[in-house]
Amino acid sequence: MKDSGRSMGKRLVGILAIPVGVLMIILILCGAKGIRLFATEGNWIAFFQATATVMITTIVLSINLNSGRFDFSIGSISLLSSVISASICIRFGLATGPMLLISIIAGAVLGLCSGVVYVLVKLPPIIISLGITLLYEGAAFTVTNGYGVSFVANNELVSFPSVFNYIIVIVLCLAFAIVVFDHTKFGYDYKALLSGQKVAVETGIHEVKNAIICYTIAGGMMGIVGFLSATNTGTIQMALNFGSISIMFTAFLPMFIGGFIGRFCNEKIGYFIGALTMAFVSLAYARLNVHSSVQQIITALLLVGFLIYLNNEKVIKNIFGFRKRRAEKNYEV
Amino acid sequence: MKKLVKKVLCIMLCLSMTVAIAGCGSKKTSKSGDGKLDMSKKVKIGVLVSDTTTAEALSFRKYYVDYIQKQYNVEFVYSDQMKDAAGEKSALDTFITNNCKAVISFSSFDRASQLEQCEKAKVYYAVATGTLTQKEYDKYKKYEYYVGAVGPSLELEYQTGYDMAKHYLDKGDENFAIFGGALPYYTEMHIYRVAGMLTAMIEAGGKDANYDGAKTKDEVIAKLFKAGSVSTGSIGTIQVLGYVGGYDMDDAWNAKCKQMVQTKGLQILLAVGNGSDFFGAAAAKAGVKVASVDAYAKNYGDAMQGKMLDYMAGKFSASIGPIFIATYRATLGAPLHNDKGEAIALDQGYWVAQNNDEFQKYYKVDSSIEKPAYTKKMLDKLLKADYKTFKEFVEKYKYEDIQTIGE
Repeated sequence: MKDSGRSMGKRLVGILAIPVGVLMIILILCGAKGIRLFATEGNWIAFFQATATVMITTIVLSINLNSGRFDFSIGSISLLSSVISASICIRFGLATGPMLLISIIAGAVLGLCSGVVYVLVKLPPIIISLGITLLYEGAAFTVTNGYGVSFVANNELVSFPSVFNYIIVIVLCLAFAIVVFDHTKFGYDYKALLSGQKVAVETGIHEVKNAIICYTIAGGMMGIVGFLSATNTGTIQMALNFGSISIMFTAFLPMFIGGFIGRFCNEKIGYFIGALTMAFVSLAYARLNVHSSVQQIITALLLVGFLIYLNNEKVIKNIFGFRKRRAEKNYEV
Repeated sequence: MKKLVKKVLCIMLCLSMTVAIAGCGSKKTSKSGDGKLDMSKKVKIGVLVSDTTTAEALSFRKYYVDYIQKQYNVEFVYSDQMKDAAGEKSALDTFITNNCKAVISFSSFDRASQLEQCEKAKVYYAVATGTLTQKEYDKYKKYEYYVGAVGPSLELEYQTGYDMAKHYLDKGDENFAIFGGALPYYTEMHIYRVAGMLTAMIEAGGKDANYDGAKTKDEVIAKLFKAGSVSTGSIGTIQVLGYVGGYDMDDAWNAKCKQMVQTKGLQILLAVGNGSDFFGAAAAKAGVKVASVDAYAKNYGDAMQGKMLDYMAGKFSASIGPIFIATYRATLGAPLHNDKGEAIALDQGYWVAQNNDEFQKYYKVDSSIEKPAYTKKMLDKLLKADYKTFKEFVEKYKYEDIQTIGE
């Protein structure tokens, strides 16, 4: 019982150490400058919006990346699905609910197409995804004649951003990902393929079907990201020549953080906490008015620092373990 | 005998080579005997663009491709979106290989290199919707293949920012925020626009008003160039409550934008670029008026109608008509020079819409490809015009003035 409690405590420390540590540092920095991190409702909305988009993007990125499929096209799926949904909704005067639904469906179809191309062409996924990115970016550009979509004057479509709505999106997406990947036959097959594709296929798991479903789910979820980004500003800016890829890079650090936290809890919850951590950082950049070049340096340092830690974890633990043992020895003497 | 034959052959060969070289060097003129320009051959013109997705860039492209290309015997070859000077060099190489006779440049990462490259390749080079700095102009004005520049000078950019701020200061507004666009990247036109805004505030701010100690236009410009951003705070009785620059468009940047617009007491957001798309929705909720410098596009019209945009200083798409004519003339062997025989450098400004009716009136003309602001009939007058006539035409850029030219 005591051991179980100690283990639970250790897990809680593992789960909360990074977000709480980051929040503490940010609060100290804000305090030193006399700034409140959450001063207005707008700050809360920005925080939860960032948490939602980063968490979903991280989950999406991990779906294919964990299986060795590097998918550069997720940003372009988000772009094109939001262009499709916003265009339809503006034309027919639809509200945010239908827009979200159309975004998800459009994203899922685009993801499905991406997956089908991948399994049919059988080229490395990195090449396929780059081609798909250009195709979808070009399609979005053509559909809007290059002007993008702007609905800033449409009060209905820009009414979505609120803390409550973002929390609902976070909870539903997280629950969906956990249920699908941890509690369904598809999820078990997915995990079996991760741990050994050859053996899994020999046991009767259909890897092609699994890959296509992965792409479809990823596409649908990126449709949600597109919807969240579009309704946040009321405008969809066009991206060409791989301009949409940058969204993917926002998910790397939370994915690594989530992977680390995933040792102590469900991996998807790890991604959520990773996204939460990045949302604290993102809001701090805004509240402290940090210059974008400084932001990039800080984010890069955090990423590199975290990777260095993950790759040298044993060495670091040994060093600290050695010191601890030596301290204990000296104490005994 | 053999030696004599050899000598004769050598002399003939030398003569033929001399004639051939002289032929290569001589400038072709397409003027026919009666002074008319020979426009029977299609002329390829490369268009170098650093931006392919903004409303402004798309309007310009539409005017060239959907109107000018159908009216004149020309073909426009567009570059991809430029990201740096190396990209510009590579795109110019492609134009030259594709037998483009001229390049009209909308890209300004390294104008000097572009100009040198075109001069070396004997391809005419023109700057659209911008100007060279005085130092650059002094260096290149005599270059044979430099056609010149037509667009807002830095002085005009300054004036645009000044007028925008003054419009609200005269109404008694005192609490402002500024969107600096590419100011953090030291883009001169944006720096000058912001300098105009701040100088207007200094003038309106009372006796001891100053911006970080700067009181004059030149001092403000120097401050902005040094800092690469705008300091918030008081300018006498006027308040600069917020500032955002750059185009990061990530979560932190979006949060910054929203936070700025929701600053307590804010009345006006002055944007050196697209203001309504980035701030419109949040500004409308907060009751803040947005003023922009951009172009006449449908979405801005919608924003103006929906009270998300209050003031627009916009480039009109046909404003690039005169520089096309100057370039086209050069390729036809009738280049236009100023009175001193130098490349042209002409100032051309914005159409300013201060309400929705004005905006819609300008937009109707600007978006037309049947009867744009500068029609073929109007531009044809420039094909053989002297410098004075050309200059007068360009400088009458205001909407009402252009209607007069049309008549």
